[in-house]
Amino acid sequence: MLEKLGEVIRKATNRIANAIFLDKNLMDSVIRDLQRALIEADVNVHLIKELTDRIKKEALDERVKGIEKKEHMIKLLHDELIKILGEHKQLKLKKGQNRILLLGLYGAGKTTTVAKLGNYFTKRGHKVALLGLDVHRPAAKEQLKQLAERNKLNYFIDEKENNAVKTWKKFEKDLKKYDLILIDTAGRHSLDKSLIKEITALNKDIKPTEAILVMPADIGQAAKKQAREFQEAVNISGVIITRMDSTAKGGGALTACGETKAPVYFITTGEKINDIEEFNPKAFLSRLLGMGDLQALIEKVKSATDDKKQKQIQKRLEEGKLSLDDVVEQVKSMGSMGGLDKIKSMIPGLGSAKIPDKMLGTQEEKIKKWEHIIKSMTPEEKENPEILKKQTSRISRVAKGSGTHTSEVRSLLKQYDMLNEMIKSGTDLDMSHGFSQKQIQKLIKKFGKRKIRRLG
Amino acid sequence: MKFDAGRQKYEPDLEEIKKEGFLKKVTSKISKIKISEKEFEIYSEELEMLLLENNVALNVAEKIIEELKYRIVGKEFLKKEIESEIKDCFKEIIEEILITPFDVVEKVKEKISDQSKEPYVILFCGINGTGKTTTIAKIARFLKENKLSCVFAAADTFRAASIEQIKKHGEQLGIKVISNEYGSDPASVGFDAIQYAKKNFINCVLIDTAGRMHTAKNLLNEIEKIAKVCKPDLKIFVGEAITGNDVIEQAKSFDWAIGIDGIILTKADIDEKGGTALSVGYVTKKPILYLGTGQEYNKIVVFDKKKFIKDLGLDDNKSNYNNL
Repeated sequence: MLEKLGEVIRKATNRIANAIFLDKNLMDSVIRDLQRALIEADVNVHLIKELTDRIKKEALDERVKGIEKKEHMIKLLHDELIKILGEHKQLKLKKGQNRILLLGLYGAGKTTTVAKLGNYFTKRGHKVALLGLDVHRPAAKEQLKQLAERNKLNYFIDEKENNAVKTWKKFEKDLKKYDLILIDTAGRHSLDKSLIKEITALNKDIKPTEAILVMPADIGQAAKKQAREFQEAVNISGVIITRMDSTAKGGGALTACGETKAPVYFITTGEKINDIEEFNPKAFLSRLLGMGDLQALIEKVKSATDDKKQKQIQKRLEEGKLSLDDVVEQVKSMGSMGGLDKIKSMIPGLGSAKIPDKMLGTQEEKIKKWEHIIKSMTPEEKENPEILKKQTSRISRVAKGSGTHTSEVRSLLKQYDMLNEMIKSGTDLDMSHGFSQKQIQKLIKKFGKRKIRRLG
Repeated sequence: MKFDAGRQKYEPDLEEIKKEGFLKKVTSKISKIKISEKEFEIYSEELEMLLLENNVALNVAEKIIEELKYRIVGKEFLKKEIESEIKDCFKEIIEEILITPFDVVEKVKEKISDQSKEPYVILFCGINGTGKTTTIAKIARFLKENKLSCVFAAADTFRAASIEQIKKHGEQLGIKVISNEYGSDPASVGFDAIQYAKKNFINCVLIDTAGRMHTAKNLLNEIEKIAKVCKPDLKIFVGEAITGNDVIEQAKSFDWAIGIDGIILTKADIDEKGGTALSVGYVTKKPILYLGTGQEYNKIVVFDKKKFIKDLGLDDNKSNYNNL
C-alpha cells in the first residue's frame, strides 16, 4: 500500500537535498512529479493545483532567511502533505452514553466497520452494543448478526421491521444500559432523496454523539461532492477510510475530509476484525516516507491481544511453565495483527525490506497445522515438549496423527524453544499491557535482522 | 484542513461543468481564444485537468491528450472549424477506446441452441463492496425477462451473510440458489450449480464470488481455481463507476488472473462523472457491458457508447437512460 506515492515523495526530497542549489527548473520538475503522484492518489485536482502553486510561490520567497532554500522547500512539501492528511484527532468517548452513527455510500464497508469498532472498544473495556438499521439491503442485518456472534459482541436487530426509525424506537429502552452504541445504516448517496430523508430523520431521533462518514480508499473525484452533501444532511464529525490495504491511496477520501472539516479517526486495512487502526497524520506520513510507525504497531498489538489471555500467559511465564498451546496463542495474535506484510511497514527500516510473497501468505496455514499437531499430542507432551525431542518416535507418531510431516512438528518445537529463550533472557517481560516500544525494538534486534538476512 | 483562501479561485466553474458536460466547456474555451496548431500545448494542461476532474485516471488522460495533440497539431484548420475539429477528434479517440459491447442474451442463446445441454456460465469478480451480488440479481431478472432460466451459485462463502443475501434475491426473483456452508470451497459450489443446471435443463449459471482485494495473491489464486473448475463462458469484472485511479490496478489484476471478457460498472447513479468507464476500457481493452444505476432490480442499463459520448457534452441534447 502507498509505496508508490511514498517513493515519489522520497525521491523528490532526495533530489532537492542532493542538488547544489534550488533553481526554478529543478523545482518545476519536482512539482510536476508531485502533482502526478497526488493525482494518481485521487486527491482532488483543484486542491493539488492550489497546494503546488503555494509551494512554488513560497519556495522562491526571498524573504525567508536563516534557513537554506532547499531545506525550506522540503519543509514546505511536508507541511502541505500534512495539510492534506488533516488534523490528528482521536475518537474520544464521553461519559454517559455514546451513540455513533455510521453512514456512507453503498459497499463502503459500513457493516464490517461497525463490527471492527465494536471489537476495538470492547477490548478497551467499554460496554458496546451494535444496532442494525440497514433495513434496505437484503441480509444486511443478518451480516451484522453473524459478525457480532463470531466476535461475541452484543447486537440488536429486528429482522422483520423495514423502517429504521421504528427499529430505533423499539430498542431505545434496551440500549440504555450500554455506554457505546454503534449504529449501522443503509448505504445511500446524495442524490437519493428518500434515503437522505431517512438519515435526517434518524439523526433527529437518535441524536448521535458522533456521525461518522465511511469512505472507501479507492473513491475518485466524486468523493468531494458526496462528502459535502452528506455533511449538509447530517453533521459529520469524523471519517473512517476503508480498504486501505489495496493499491488505492485514499486521496479521494482524504479530500472528502477536507471538505467536511472532519478528522479521519480510523483507517481499516483488511477483512479481519482487528484490521483497524487509529489514524495519525504525522505517523502516517512518516510511514508513507518509509520511516515506520511504531505507535500504530503498538496499538495494533494492544487490540489484537486479549487482556485476560495476556495476563494468563504472563502468570504462566512467571511460573516458568510455558506450554505449546501458549506458543500457538502468541503466534495467532501475531497473525490477527494482519501478518508480516502489514507489520513490516510500521517498523522503522523494515518498510523497504523485501519479504517473499510466499512467506506472507503461509502464516495462517502454518498456524492451522500447528493446532492440528498440538491436538495430536498427549497432555504430558503438551505441558512438557522436551520429551518429544528425546524420543523421536513420539514426533513421528504426532506427525502421523495430525496428517503433517515430521519437519513441521520440529518447526513447531523450534518456535517453542525460541519463545522460551526469549522469556529467559528478558526477565522484565511484562506483557500485561501488550509490548512496550522498548520490547519491540529488542525483538527486532533479536529476530528481525536475522530473519531479514536469511530471507534476503 | 483549511484552504479557504485559495479555494474560491478554482471552484466556481464546477457546477457549470457538470451541467454542460466537460467537453463542451473545453471546446468553448478553445474556440474563444483563437488557437493555432502550436498553441495547442498551452491549452493541453487545461484539457487534461478537465479530464482528470471527471475522474479519468492520470495515465489514460495523458494518453488521450497525447493522441489528440498528435492529430490536431500540424494540421491546418479554419479558425471557425477548430471547435468542431477538436470535438470530432475527441469523439474519434473516445470511440476507439470504448469497445462496443456484445449482447449477453444473444451469447447465451447461441450456446444453448447447440443441443449439448451445457449451460452458459457467467463468473462475477471484483473487489469488496462493488455490488457483485446486487448486479447478479439484476442480470438474472434481465435474462429471465428474455425467457432464459437461471441458477445462482453462492460461491461467496467468506463474507458474513453473503449466502443469506443471495438467497433473498433468489426468493424474490424465483431463482434456485445452490449453496454450501460458510468457509467451504467456492469452486465446488460453482461446480455443483453447473451440475444442477445440466440436470434440470437450466440455461444459465451465475456465479457470485467473494469480494477480494486485487493485491491479495492467495485470493487471486482462489478465483483462478474457480475459473479453472467452472470454465465460465463469460467472466465479468464488476467495478464501481466512482473509483478513481485505482480502477486501473483493479481491472488489470483481475484480467491478469483470469482474463476477463467484459466489465460492469455499478453505482453509476452516484456521480455523473463518467471517466472511470474510459479508464477501465482503455487499460483492459474489454467492452463495458452494463451500468448499474440504482438499488432496484431494473436499475441496469446497457452501456451505450454513443450516449456516453453524448453525455460528455459533445452534443447539445442529453438523453436519459432507459432501464432494461
